Amino acid sequence: MLIELLTDKYPGMRFWLTQRLTALVMAAYLVLVILLLVIVQPARFEAWHALVSPVWFRLATILFFASLCMHAWLGVRDVLRDYVFNQGLRGYLQIIVDVLLVIYFVWLCFILWNL
Amino acid sequence: MKKNQQKNRPKNLNLFTIRLPINAVVSILHRASGVALFLVLPLLLLAFQASVKSPESYVEVANIFGAWWVKLLLIGLSWAFFHHFFAGIRHLLQDVHWMTSLQKARFSSRVVLWLVGVSVVIFGISIW
Repeated sequence: MLIELLTDKYPGMRFWLTQRLTALVMAAYLVLVILLLVIVQPARFEAWHALVSPVWFRLATILFFASLCMHAWLGVRDVLRDYVFNQGLRGYLQIIVDVLLVIYFVWLCFILWNL
Repeated sequence: MKKNQQKNRPKNLNLFTIRLPINAVVSILHRASGVALFLVLPLLLLAFQASVKSPESYVEVANIFGAWWVKLLLIGLSWAFFHHFFAGIRHLLQDVHWMTSLQKARFSSRVVLWLVGVSVVIFGISIW
């Protein structure tokens, strides 16, 4: 049933499911990070740096941010389709959003790489 | 003929006389908060980058976040986050057919607004 919904017969379903799955990934990560911040309370640079430096934290952050980019892409795409009626303008705006999200993702990878 | 009939239907798009039901309020705020979070992404990345770069840049970020007007902005941002978070969880629960009747949906909308309010207050108190 679920597998059939993900075939080409229902093209929107993959977007729908992606939006939900990325939401769950982000929610899990954010609850974890908020708990960590409340427990550790890193008040100085050294503590803060030590908190975000472990490999597992960096990997989790990359997974989180990849989810965020996909989620934001789908959300902004829906918003543009609802409010920007001029096809050409909407296309340009969508390209700007796409480029921005790619830049943000590369940027985050760069930050985490240089920790 | 049918098209004409549709065109003659009365419309009311006056934003000052439309009163949104609570479910619609939660829904449009979910969208608005999502757009706000997207727009603020580069600033968050900048702040994160500076905070982990060096002890000096960390202190700079801490000083900026210490200004009262930045704290106000952060509280506004926390509202966008908490609303998107809780309203999103409500949508996910509705996706699995939980609390989908009109009455229950109204109730869960109120729960979302309360959770958001309480979370923002706790966040505001803890950063002030």
